[in-house]
Parts: sequence; structure tokens; C-alpha cells
Amino acid sequence: MSVVKPICNQKEANDEVVVIVWDVFVRLFHWLLVVLVATTAITGFLGQEWWLNIHLWAGYGIGLMITLRLVWGFFGTNYARFSSFIFRPGKTYDFTRQLLRGKPDHYTGHNPAGALMVFALLLVLTGLTISGLIVLGGQEKQGILAGVISYALGSEVAEFHEIAAFLLLFMIAAHIGGVLLESYLSRQNLVRSMINGRKNVPLVKAAIAGKVVLVGKALFAISIIAVMAGALVWSLMRLPVSGFKVIKQNSAYASECGECHHAYHPSLLPESSWNKILTGLSDHFGEDASLDREVVKILNQYLKLNAARHWDTEAANNLRRVSAKDPLSITASPYWVLRHKDIDERVFKRNKIASKGNCIACHIDAGSGRFDDQMINVPDE
Amino acid sequence: MRTLIIPLAATILLSATLPGVAGPAQDEILKHFQEQAKMEFSVERGQELFTKSYGTGKPKTPSCTTCHTKSPLKSGKTRVGKVIAPMALSRTKDRYSDLKKVEKWFRRNCKGVIGRECTPQEKVDFLAFMISK
Repeated sequence: MSVVKPICNQKEANDEVVVIVWDVFVRLFHWLLVVLVATTAITGFLGQEWWLNIHLWAGYGIGLMITLRLVWGFFGTNYARFSSFIFRPGKTYDFTRQLLRGKPDHYTGHNPAGALMVFALLLVLTGLTISGLIVLGGQEKQGILAGVISYALGSEVAEFHEIAAFLLLFMIAAHIGGVLLESYLSRQNLVRSMINGRKNVPLVKAAIAGKVVLVGKALFAISIIAVMAGALVWSLMRLPVSGFKVIKQNSAYASECGECHHAYHPSLLPESSWNKILTGLSDHFGEDASLDREVVKILNQYLKLNAARHWDTEAANNLRRVSAKDPLSITASPYWVLRHKDIDERVFKRNKIASKGNCIACHIDAGSGRFDDQMINVPDE
Repeated sequence: MRTLIIPLAATILLSATLPGVAGPAQDEILKHFQEQAKMEFSVERGQELFTKSYGTGKPKTPSCTTCHTKSPLKSGKTRVGKVIAPMALSRTKDRYSDLKKVEKWFRRNCKGVIGRECTPQEKVDFLAFMISK
């Protein structure tokens, strides 16, 4: 199938013909990517925890789109192929000079500056997708990399993810600016071209036949990638989550501590704090919570074995830094305060919450120590 | 003689004044405290213990009702927000059946609310009130 087909049939050499430059895939890819990137940007920059899933699905969508675009870049129609818009540095330099003089050469597909932006955008988006997966695996202990990435690495990469996201915003602005500039200089609406695929092309250039889509090769490449990705995901998902395990709650802990308050997961405090709590039970946050020595012994063993340093979760990594003034209180720790600073005090007074210490009122998975962003549900009353 | 009569009287009284709800486990615990108490238990004194505001214990828990609400028939709430099952035996059937547990909570909460341990008399009165409810 040749996609570059003259639509009107004029004969003069100076005349222009209308040609379909951007095929259906390229156009769909472009606008879907716009929607997906906008979604990740909104959910990422305005970062509400319960939006994480939307951010993730849009991110997966971007990953899929880029994969398909790469395949299409090798086997797609003429102007979609990377080979049609890889320019020698000299050409790019010439084009830039022409652009500065306001008289750039005509390119039917991407011009050298636009081409550079396309590659840069693909590169940055790939980087964002991969770094996003690393952050998800390391910090949240979710996704395909949950078994192989440490919290520390996830946090390092989170910085990169953020910087790349800001960079992307600037690149998008430059991309839009470039399109508007070229539209103005070439007197045609390039935004509309990305919608209907059509561009006015000098008759001479339209004569260059479009390359035929290599459907078989494209499908083959996609199948290979799908099988490889599938095998990778499958083997990664079989790995146990690094630094997290489901533990059986100690029955003494559940009954003795869980009678008055949610039985806090042992990973939420360092061993030193648990120790102080157990030795000071007769004045436990303003109440007498004294216990038999035998019971205290059992609790001590359980808490020591499962205190914060034995975990690599987000909660354990951060809550192990306790407040210097109030080292026994989880809710006094700098991280706890930081993460809850935007919540109105009145919310904590709600009937179903009652106090800041009632983690499980809002964090459905508090009992496991995971505290997933998606597991937050703040009661309305 | 007294050591024999009071428990005996208590058991008879129990079946008379606290009909229906108290099972053998609760009877056993009541008897345990009655044996150490000076007087026969009184539901009224138990009620007074429960509702009185002491202010001699920990500042955040001046009375039993701070957490348990004024009615033993209602669910209470700890300061952290955990729901406490109603204190009345008629509402929470498995209450007052484990002496160790009963002693633990008397020890903690008497110290917390009153600022000292409760006497056997207070304990048996309190239990009688809760079992009667």
C-alpha cells in the first residue's frame, strides 16, 4: 500500500499537491501520547496519593505507545520511518541557519530540527517510563521491579524521574513552539496535518514514492517483543518482593496491644523505640498499660525481630527516623508529619478516625506495613 | 463462718438479683472477689464507681465513662479510636470470664482513672453492676 498518493492532479511544476504524509498510526500515536502524557503530568505533578493508579496506567500506556512507535519507525510508511528523518549534522546545521534567516528549506516529513525533537522526546519518554518502573518497584514495592529494586535506589531514581519530567515539559513547549513557527513560515497548518495527515507538497517532491508498510515484519517484531516482554515480566513477578514479607501477627501482640489501638506493624518503629515503649508501659501515652513480665518478654522478642531495620518498605525506611523529642510516637516522626501536613486537623477528629494514631482508619493495608498509596480511604464522617 | 456464709449468700443473691446472663465463669469470678470483700456486693455502688469523676488518676482519663460512655450498654472508644465493646455482660457475652484478664484491666484502669489499685470490694461491686446490666 502506498500512502503517499497525490490527491489532486495538477500538472505545473511550481504547483503543490496535497499528500497524506502522516499515516493513521502516526496520528493516533501522536494524539494518544498527548492524552497519556497530559494524564501522567497532571497526576504526577499535582501528586495526590490516590491518583497513583491513573499515573501508572497512563505510564504503561506511554511505554506501549513508544514500543509500537519504534517498530513503526522501522517498518511503517515512508515519513514514519526513522531512516526518513535521520539527518547528517551538516543538514541540521544548514536548516538551523535557514530558519534563523526565516527562509527554511521545505521538508515533506520532519525537518531536521523537528526530527531531533522527535528523537529527543522518544528518548526522554523512554527514560521516564523506565525510571518510573524503578521508582515504583523500589519505593512502593509494586510493579514488575518490586523484587529487584531497593528503596534506596528507587529514591535516587525518583530524583531523576522528576528532573526528566520537568525537562519533558520544556521540550513539549519547544515542540509546540517549533510547530507554530514552521506553520507560520510555511503558511500551512501543521496541527491540522497531524489530525488529517495531509500536507501541501511541491509536485516534484510528491513524485518520490512512499515506502510500503512491511506488515509481516512489523507483526513479527511486535510478536518477538511481546514474547520477550512477557517472559521478562513473568519471571520478575515470580520474585518475592524485596524487603517486604507478610508476617503472621504474634497473638500476644494482637491481643495485648491491639485491644486499645490498631496493632501497629512492628516495622513502623526502630528497635530502640519499641524497647522504650515496653519498659514504660505503666505510663503509655498517658495511660496505664502495664503487662505481666512474661507477656512483655514475648512482645519484646516479636518486636525486636520485626522492627524497622528488617524492612525495606517506604514506611519502615522513613519512620525509622523518630522524633528526637518524642521517640515513642510514630505520629511525631518527621516523615509522618511531612506526609500528613496537608490534612486538616478536623479530619483526624472524625468519628471513624478519632485520632492520628488510628492508622487503619484511612490506610486499609496498615496491618501489613505496606501503606500503599492506592490503599488510602479517608472516611467522610 | 463469715468466709463460708458470704460466698454462699453471694451465690444465692447472684441467681436472684442477676438473673439469666451470668454463666458459671462469671459466677466464679464474682465469688473470687466476694471472698476478699468486706461487704456483700452492691449493684448501686458499682454504678457509682463507674460514673464518678475522680480526677486523681491520669489527666486524660478522669472517669470510666471517658472511654466507655455513660451507658454500659453502648460501645465505647479508646483515645486512639478503637471501638470498645459494651461493658454490660448482656451485650458482650464473653466478658468477665477470664480472671487474669479481669485483673489486668482492673489494675490498669483503676490506676489510670483513680490513681490507685481498686479494692476487692470495689471490684465485686463493679462486676455486679456490669453483670446486672
